[in-house]
Amino acid sequence: MSAAGDLVSVTVDGRAVDVPKGTGMVETAMQAGVEIPVFCYEPRLGPAVGACRMCLVEVDGMPKLQAGCTLTAQDGMVVRTAQTSELAADGQNATLEFILVNHPLDCPVCDKGGECPLQDLTFRYGPGSTRMTFPKRTFDKPIPISPLIALDRERCILCYRCTRFSEGVAEDGQLVAVNRGAQSMIATFEDEPYSGRFSGNVIELCPVGALTSTQYRFQARPWEIQNVPTICGMCPVGCNVTATTREGKVKRILSRNHPEIDAGWLCDKGRFAFSHLGARDRVTAPLRRVRRRGLEEVSWDVALDEAEAMLRRAGNRIVTALSGSETVEQAYGLAKLLRQGLGAHTAVLPEETRAALDAFTLPLSAIGAAELIIILGEDPVEERAPIVDLWIRLARRNGAQIEHDVPAAPVDADRVVLIWSGDDPGGGQTLARVAHELGLAGREGSGAFYLPRTANGRGVADGWSAAADEDASNPEPIGLLVVSGDEAAADPGVRSLAERADAVLAITMFQGLAVGWADLVLPGTGYLERDGTYVNLEGRPQRLRRAVIPPVPDELAWLARLAERFGVELSPHPSLLWQELSGTAYDGLEYGQVGERAALPPRPAAEAIPVPPPDPAALEPPPSPAVPDQLALLRYRPLFSGPAVERVPELQFQRPQKEIGLSPGDAAARGIRTGDPVSVRSNGTALALRASVSRRLRPGVARIAEEHAAELGTSVEVTSSNQIASEASDLA
Amino acid sequence: MADRPLIVLAGADERDLTRLEEYRAIGGYESLARARTMEPQGIIDELLASNLRGRGGAFFSTGRKASFIPKDSPKPTYLVVNADESEPGTFKDREIMDRVPHRLIEGCLITAHAIRSQHVFIYIRGEYLEEFEVVRAALEETRAADLLDGVTVVLHRGAGAYICGEETGLLESLEGKRGQPRSKPPFPAIQGLYAAPTLINNVETMATVPKIIELGGAEYAKIGTPDSTGTRLFCLSGNVERAGNYELPHGTTIREVIYDLGGGIPDGRELKAIIPGGSSMPVLTPDQIDTPLDHDALRALDTFLGAAAIIVIDDQACMVQLGLRVAQFYMHESCGKCTPCREGTRWMVQLLHKIEDGRAVQGELDLLLDVCDRILGKCLCPLGDAAAMPVASYVDKFRDDFQAHIDHGGCPFGGESSLEGLLAPVEQHVHHPTVELPS
Amino acid sequence: MTNPENAAHFRDEVRAVAAQYPDRHSAVLPALRIAQHAHGGWLPREAFEEVADALELTPAYCRSVASFYDMFHLAAVGRHMVEVCTNICCGLRGAQSVLEAFEAELGVRAGETTDDGEVTLRTVECLGGCAWPTVVALDERFRLSVQAGDVPGIVAELGNG
Ligand SMILES: Cc1cc2nc3c(=O)[nH]c(=O)nc-3n(C[C@H](O)[C@H](O)[C@H](O)COP(=O)(O)O)c2cc1C
Ligand code: SF4
Ligand code: FES
Repeated sequence: MSAAGDLVSVTVDGRAVDVPKGTGMVETAMQAGVEIPVFCYEPRLGPAVGACRMCLVEVDGMPKLQAGCTLTAQDGMVVRTAQTSELAADGQNATLEFILVNHPLDCPVCDKGGECPLQDLTFRYGPGSTRMTFPKRTFDKPIPISPLIALDRERCILCYRCTRFSEGVAEDGQLVAVNRGAQSMIATFEDEPYSGRFSGNVIELCPVGALTSTQYRFQARPWEIQNVPTICGMCPVGCNVTATTREGKVKRILSRNHPEIDAGWLCDKGRFAFSHLGARDRVTAPLRRVRRRGLEEVSWDVALDEAEAMLRRAGNRIVTALSGSETVEQAYGLAKLLRQGLGAHTAVLPEETRAALDAFTLPLSAIGAAELIIILGEDPVEERAPIVDLWIRLARRNGAQIEHDVPAAPVDADRVVLIWSGDDPGGGQTLARVAHELGLAGREGSGAFYLPRTANGRGVADGWSAAADEDASNPEPIGLLVVSGDEAAADPGVRSLAERADAVLAITMFQGLAVGWADLVLPGTGYLERDGTYVNLEGRPQRLRRAVIPPVPDELAWLARLAERFGVELSPHPSLLWQELSGTAYDGLEYGQVGERAALPPRPAAEAIPVPPPDPAALEPPPSPAVPDQLALLRYRPLFSGPAVERVPELQFQRPQKEIGLSPGDAAARGIRTGDPVSVRSNGTALALRASVSRRLRPGVARIAEEHAAELGTSVEVTSSNQIASEASDLA
Repeated sequence: MADRPLIVLAGADERDLTRLEEYRAIGGYESLARARTMEPQGIIDELLASNLRGRGGAFFSTGRKASFIPKDSPKPTYLVVNADESEPGTFKDREIMDRVPHRLIEGCLITAHAIRSQHVFIYIRGEYLEEFEVVRAALEETRAADLLDGVTVVLHRGAGAYICGEETGLLESLEGKRGQPRSKPPFPAIQGLYAAPTLINNVETMATVPKIIELGGAEYAKIGTPDSTGTRLFCLSGNVERAGNYELPHGTTIREVIYDLGGGIPDGRELKAIIPGGSSMPVLTPDQIDTPLDHDALRALDTFLGAAAIIVIDDQACMVQLGLRVAQFYMHESCGKCTPCREGTRWMVQLLHKIEDGRAVQGELDLLLDVCDRILGKCLCPLGDAAAMPVASYVDKFRDDFQAHIDHGGCPFGGESSLEGLLAPVEQHVHHPTVELPS
Repeated sequence: MTNPENAAHFRDEVRAVAAQYPDRHSAVLPALRIAQHAHGGWLPREAFEEVADALELTPAYCRSVASFYDMFHLAAVGRHMVEVCTNICCGLRGAQSVLEAFEAELGVRAGETTDDGEVTLRTVECLGGCAWPTVVALDERFRLSVQAGDVPGIVAELGNG
C-alpha cells in the first residue's frame, strides 16, 4: 500500500518495528507483538475517541500518559506499555479501578461471563480488590430496548461503541447517550424499540454484558458451546458467520469478519432469524396428501416409493422450481437426478445470471472506497442486500458521490461502482452493458454489482446447468411440479404454475408452505444444517458448514437414494459433487480451496468476456403512472419478510410498517408529511397507510411493501387523510 | 497603584461604550481600519511582538496559535470566540460583553482578517441572556455601519454546560452535539469546526487585540511583566469588601488586589485561603499573599493564574465543605466521556461527603488523595484535573480541617461554617427520570 | 403545537436559524430553545419530534443532546423559574440562606414546583456574578446581591408578573 519510504520506526516496550507512518499505535504495538488493551477503541466505528482510557501508555518526551488508541506511529517514537512502564501499568490499573467502582460484578449470572473483555483485562491489568465502599450506581435492569436486545445499564462502562455504531455506521440515530457525567446512560427515544436492520451488531460490539441478546439470555456458558464457522444464507451478501451451538441447537449467530464482504457487521435477519430451525410447523417426516384428511406422515420408504412413482409418471414433463437457497451441490444433485435420469430439463430458476458481469467483479469492500456510486433499479438496496447499504454509507462518509441515474457525460471519477438493485430480466446483462459504456472494463477499483434476490441464486443456476446441456422443453400440461425449497414454495408465481400441473412434489421445511397444494412433501433443511457451497453476489464461492444436525436426513441423502432407482450415480457428499461440477462451473476450483475466508475468483481477462449487445429496451424508462396525478406503485420485498422471518416472534417488530413511501415533491404537492395518515386508492381498492417521505424516491412513484400492497394496481391515487393538511392543499 | 493602564475597559467608565458612536468617539474601529490595510501576517507579527497570551485559562501565545492556521486551506477558516465563561469565580467576559461589546467585535474582525477568515462564531454561555442581547445590539450597529466587510458573525448561545468552555467541547456543542471534548490531535487549528481550520480565543483575548494594533505589539509588551505582558481583568470575589472586576497589569500582587483595591476582609475576619485562578486551581495560603499575579510566579507555587479569578476565603469557611462543593461542581459538569473523570469525580464526592459527615476513617482520607492522584493526568481533557488538583491542595494545605473531621467525627465549625449545608445542583438535577442520585 | 399552522411556523423559524450555519445540525441548541419556549418551558416528547423533523435528525438524537445541557428541562416546570446560585463564591456569602428563604416563601424544596404550577425553584452552578452574591436568575434575568430579606419582595413580584 505505502511505499517503503513511508515506513517509520517505532519502539514499543523495547521492540523496534517499522510500520507505515500514521498507523494506529494499537496496531503498531500488535506488530511488535505487544498488546495495548482497549475497550472503546474499534476502528470500524470511525476515528478513535479516547474515551475509556484503558490504553494509557507512556511516550518518551510527553509528560503525561497518552491514550494509545489515539496515537499514530511517528518516526522515532518510543512507547512503553504496562509491560515495561510502571506509570502506564498504574494508569491502566487506575482506569480499571474506576470502571469497576460502579460495575455490579454480577459475572456469575452474566451472559458475557467467560468471553468478556472486562473480565479478561481486569484479570491481567486490574486491581485485585475493591476500595469502593459506597452504594454503586443503580438502574432498573435489564430493560428491553427491543424484543431482541436487553440493556443492563449497571454493567455499561460507557465506551460509547454502541452509540457510535448507531450514529456513525448504521446511521440510524436511535441508540444514544442521555444525561451527562456520572448520570450518563444509553437509551433509545422514550419507550421506542431500537429498530432497524443492523441493531444486533451492538450486542457484539459491547465489551461487557450490558447489551445482550434476548434470544441468547441464559442459554449457555461459553465453555459449553461450540462455534461453527459458516456463511449466512439469508441474502446474497453471504456474510461470514459463526454459529454458536449447544447440545445440537443453534443458540446464536455471530459475525466472523470477512473484511472484503461484511467488515464484521450482520443484519438482524442474518443474526436473529436462525430460530426458524425450530419452528413449530417444521416438517420432520415426509408427508403425503390424503383426500379429505390433508397431509399425513409417511415413512421414508413409502415416501421414496411415492416420489419415484410420481417422477416416472411425469417423465420429462417435469418442471422444477428452485429457491436459490439450495447449495450449489444440492442444485446439481437435483439436476443430475432429474435431467440425466429423466430428461427433465425445465427449471424455474430464481435468478438469471450472465457471465457478462464477471468482467466487473469486485469485492464489496470496494464500494466503501469508491468515488462515485451509481445505484440503479427500483428496490431499496437495504431490503435486498443490507450490508451493501452499509458499504454505501461508508463511501458517502468518505466523500463519495452517490447518483441514481446513469450519467450522460463520461465520468472522470477514478473508482466507479455500479449497483443494480431491482429485478433485471437479463440477470445483470443490462448492467454489464452500462458498465462497458462507462468504460469500467479493466479499471481497478471500478466494477458493477447486480443484487439478486436470493442467497445463492447464482450458485443454483450454476449447479443446475452443470448437470446437463440440453435445452428446456417447457411441457404443457406439466406432469409434475417439483418445488425445491421454501422460497419457491412461498412464491405466488410458483403457486400459479401448480394450477397447471398434474401433481406437486414439494421439498420444504415448513408445513405451512405445503398445505393445500403439495401431493407429497419431503422435509427440507436450512442453511445452518448443510455442508456445501454458496456463491454470493460478488461471485465468490463460500463454504457452508453444518452447524447442527438437521432433524431429518438432508436433501442429498435421499436424493442419492432416489437417483439410484433411476440408474443415476449420485454421491450424497457435497465435496464429491463439487468435484464433478467444478470443472464446468468454477474453473476446476477444488472443494478444499474454498477456505474459511474465501477468496474472490480473479476477474477474467476483459477480452474473454463478450461485450453484451446494446439493448435499448433493457434500460426501460422508469415506471410512470398511467393517469396523471396518480403515482406508479412499486412493490418491494422487505428484508424482514419471508418464511424464516415469519417464524421468529422476536423479529415481528422489525417487519415493515403499513407505510407508503413518497418522494418529497409528491408529498408536498399533496400536503403530506412523514407520519401522516394517507388513503391509497386504485382498482376500486382503498388502503389506509402512513406516509413516509423519502428523498431516495423519484417523483411520480410510490413504494409499498409487498405484504401491505394487497390488491392495489400499478397506478395509485394518494391523498392525505389529515383533515387540515388536505384542506390546505386544496387551497393551494 | 497610581499607574493603572486600561486596555480592555478603557473608556468604559466615562462613556456608554455599548453604543457605536460613543465607541467611535474614542477611536473605536480605527484599529480595524488599520488592520485591514495590513497583510494578515503583519497582524500576527504584532500579536507575537505583544506576547499576548490567552485569557481563557491556558495562557497560550495568541500570535502563535493564529500562526498555526493553514494559509492555503481548501476549506473555509473559522474564528470561534469562547464566551462560555463558567468557571466558578470568573465573571470578566460578562463585564466585557456588557460594557465594551464593540471592542470585542472589533477584536474579532481584526483577528478574522489575520487568519483570512470570513466566519466568526461567538459562543455565549446560555445563562448570559442580557450579555447576548447587548452583543447582538452592538453587532446590529456594526452591520448597519458596514463595518463587517463580508464577514459573518454568528452569536451562538450555549445551554448550560461548563464543559463547553473547553475548546473542543465547545466545537462539538457548536456543531449541535453533546459538548463532549474531542481527543487531540488533530488540533482545532487543523481540524476544528466542521473539520475545518479553526482559531479559538477567549473574549478578553479578543477584546485586547484592538489596543495591540493601536499601540503596536512592542509597546503593549511593556505593560505587565516580560512573560506575562499586558493587563488582566482580575475577578475578585468571596470574603472581601469590594468585590468586582479590576483591570490591572500582570505582576500586581495578591495583597494589592485584596487589600488595596478590594478593601480587605469584611467583619474583622482573618484571611484563610486564596484561590488564584478560578475554582479549579490549587489554593494558596495567607503567607503567599505577596506573590505577584503573573504566570511564572504562580507556577513556582504549583498553581496557576487560570482565568484570573481571585476567590478570597476567610476563617469562617470549612475547607472540607469547600472541597466537597468544588468536587460536586466538577462531578456535575463532567461530560461523562472518559472513565477517570466520570467515575473519579463521583467517588471523590462520596468520600468527601463521608469525611464532611464525620463518618470517615483515616484510610479514607488517604484514599481521597489516591483517587485524586489516579484522576490526575489520565483524562481526556483537563476537567478531571480541575477537580483533583484543588481538592488535593486543600487536603495538603489544610490538613487540620480534614483531620479534625475524622478525629472528632464531625465539622470543627459545629454548623457555623459559612459553607454549611450548601445544596449543590448535582443533588437535585435530574435530567432523566430513571436516574438515581448519589447518596 | 398540534396545530399544523404552528408546526409549519416552528419549522420555518428553525430553518431560518439553521440557515445561519454552514451545517444545519448546528441549529440543534437554538431549535431546542425555541421548542422549549413553545411548550411552556420544557421539552415533552413532541418537542423532540418537532425539532427532529425540522432539522432532519432523529428524536432520540435531539433528546440525547438536550439531556446534556442544564438549561433544557425534560420534565414540566412552573411558569416562572427561580434559580439560585449555590456555588462557592455565593456560598461563602450566604447563598444557603437565600435558598432557604425561597423555600420558605414558596413552600417548596429546591428542585420542586409550587402546587399551583407557578414557580419552579432550583439551585444552579455559578452564574458568573460572583462579586455580587447571591446571584439569582429569575426567568433567565439575573438579580445580583440578593439577600434573604429580599426574597419575599421577589416572590411577590413573580406573583404579579
Ligand atoms: C474544563 C475547561 C473549561 C474551560 N472554560 C473556558 C471558558 O469558559 N472560557 C474560555 O475562554 N476558555 C475556557 N477554557 C480554555 C479553552 O479550552 C481554551 O483554551 C481557550 O478558550 C482558548 O482561548 P485563549 O487562548 O484566548 O485563552 C476551558 C478549558 C477547560 C479545560
Ligand atoms: S452498552 Fe456496552 S457498548 Fe454501549 S456504552 Fe455501555 S459498555 Fe459500551
Ligand atoms: S481504547 Fe483508548 S481510550 Fe479507550
